[in-house]
Amino acid sequence: MGSAMTTSPGSAVQRSYRTLWVSLRSFAVFFALWWLLHWWNGNPLQLPSPLKVFEALWGLLREGEIAEHASVSTLRMLLALSLSILVAVPLGFLMGLSPRAEEYIDPLVEMLRPISGIAWLPLALFIFGVGDTLPVFIMFYVGFFPILLNTVAGVRQTDARLLAAARTMGIGRWPLLVHVLVPSALPTVMVGIRLAFAASWAAIVAAELIGSPTGLGFAIEWYRQMLMTPKVFAFILAIGVVGYVCDLGLRSLQRRLTPWADGTGASS
Amino acid sequence: MTNRPFDHRASVWVRKLVLPVMLIAVWQIWASTLPAGSPAPAPLKVLQTLGDLLSTGSLLSATVQSLGRVVMGFTMASVLGIALGLMMGASQAVRENLDPIIESFRPIAPMAILPIAILWLGTGTPTALAIVAYASFFPVIINTVHGVSRVDRKLVLAARTMGISRWTILTRVVLPGALPSILLGTRLAMGVAWTAIIAAELAVGAKSGGGGSGGIGQMMFVFYAYNIDLNAIVVCMAVVGVVALLIDQLFRLVEKRLIPWKA
Repeated sequence: MGSAMTTSPGSAVQRSYRTLWVSLRSFAVFFALWWLLHWWNGNPLQLPSPLKVFEALWGLLREGEIAEHASVSTLRMLLALSLSILVAVPLGFLMGLSPRAEEYIDPLVEMLRPISGIAWLPLALFIFGVGDTLPVFIMFYVGFFPILLNTVAGVRQTDARLLAAARTMGIGRWPLLVHVLVPSALPTVMVGIRLAFAASWAAIVAAELIGSPTGLGFAIEWYRQMLMTPKVFAFILAIGVVGYVCDLGLRSLQRRLTPWADGTGASS
Repeated sequence: MTNRPFDHRASVWVRKLVLPVMLIAVWQIWASTLPAGSPAPAPLKVLQTLGDLLSTGSLLSATVQSLGRVVMGFTMASVLGIALGLMMGASQAVRENLDPIIESFRPIAPMAILPIAILWLGTGTPTALAIVAYASFFPVIINTVHGVSRVDRKLVLAARTMGISRWTILTRVVLPGALPSILLGTRLAMGVAWTAIIAAELAVGAKSGGGGSGGIGQMMFVFYAYNIDLNAIVVCMAVVGVVALLIDQLFRLVEKRLIPWKA
């Protein structure tokens, strides 16, 4: 952003056309390199040509297979994310508001947090078996910590003067929460939700790959075992696209819910 | 009585320990009510298993193997990520051209490329390295680009006015300016890398019929699929957590040393 622009200061439309053109050019080079690599490698089982992959993608789209697996994965993700939000946000408010509660709960959180969700897979497989519960549990666990930590931080960041002013005016506990604390913490909570989404979308692939008979992660591994490499690539593409679209959705939700927030905060 | 600082500190510690101790106690009591042959893990049995696994050395060697892979994959990703990130930060043309490609790979989870990595590289160390490198590449490059873009333009222009070479500007002005962000990126990357190696080793174990990839993830899978020893799985989970914590602390220490003005 801050670097010197060498292009003439054109209109926004001109600039977005330019960005589009540059992206197209980059992708053309990328696909040319891919094709060259495919031609040099000479083994379509390892690296199919881009054309074959798009053919497979088109076929899977038409037969509805991608939609089927993607909707299963997305539903699991939504369920897990809602569960994380339902548990982590109230807990975060409690910990942010009461130092005493934080003293009690924080050690437990810090004890569990370093254990990645993936490391729970074998134990969770044993407890839940192969099915829907396993990926939902793993994603709930993975999404829980970013939301909790960001909620605590968001509540803590509330301007002390605002709180004092509200109290001076004799505000009750509940209105204080609804009208002061929640609006002040919400931008940080939303950042936490986006981080939680990114982490749990990465985890769902692992969880489905190992312990589920459906979903995008399962499909990739299934077609690898069938040695249908173009379909493997097609599903990898689908994971990327669905992840990207969900993040776009969360971003627009973020803008809708918290138009007063500036920027997106921490990036990872 | 509560005025004395020692008492106060002691009561804080008691409050901090209440929930973890209670959790472990409830777990132990629950486990002791189960019939003798139950595979359910219990704290005391976990400790015992920890002792066994430590004395045979298998836990240590598996951890070292996983850590070695993480360090190698992370190093590859960091070198590539920092170099590319500096170039993208320094040159508008490079950034414009690479950004679309990098941004379109970013939402693809590391585990999604595992099947491809198995197809290309087999089920051994190269696959694990590829997953780790892929996973840690993105935090490094994104934070490097971000760091370079936040370097004070005026400093760069001033250096240029004084006729300093591009290379010197890069190493003396841009790099120190971007260092806090780069270090943050490497710390995040190392955390992601440690998660990725566990996932990769687990999945390789699960999908190649226990093929000899080794490492702590593989060890967990063996305890799940062949020996069915849940106590040992809990030991592995604890090790995963402790190593993650140590890695994070180590990187924070490095940050404090290298950028004392920031930390």
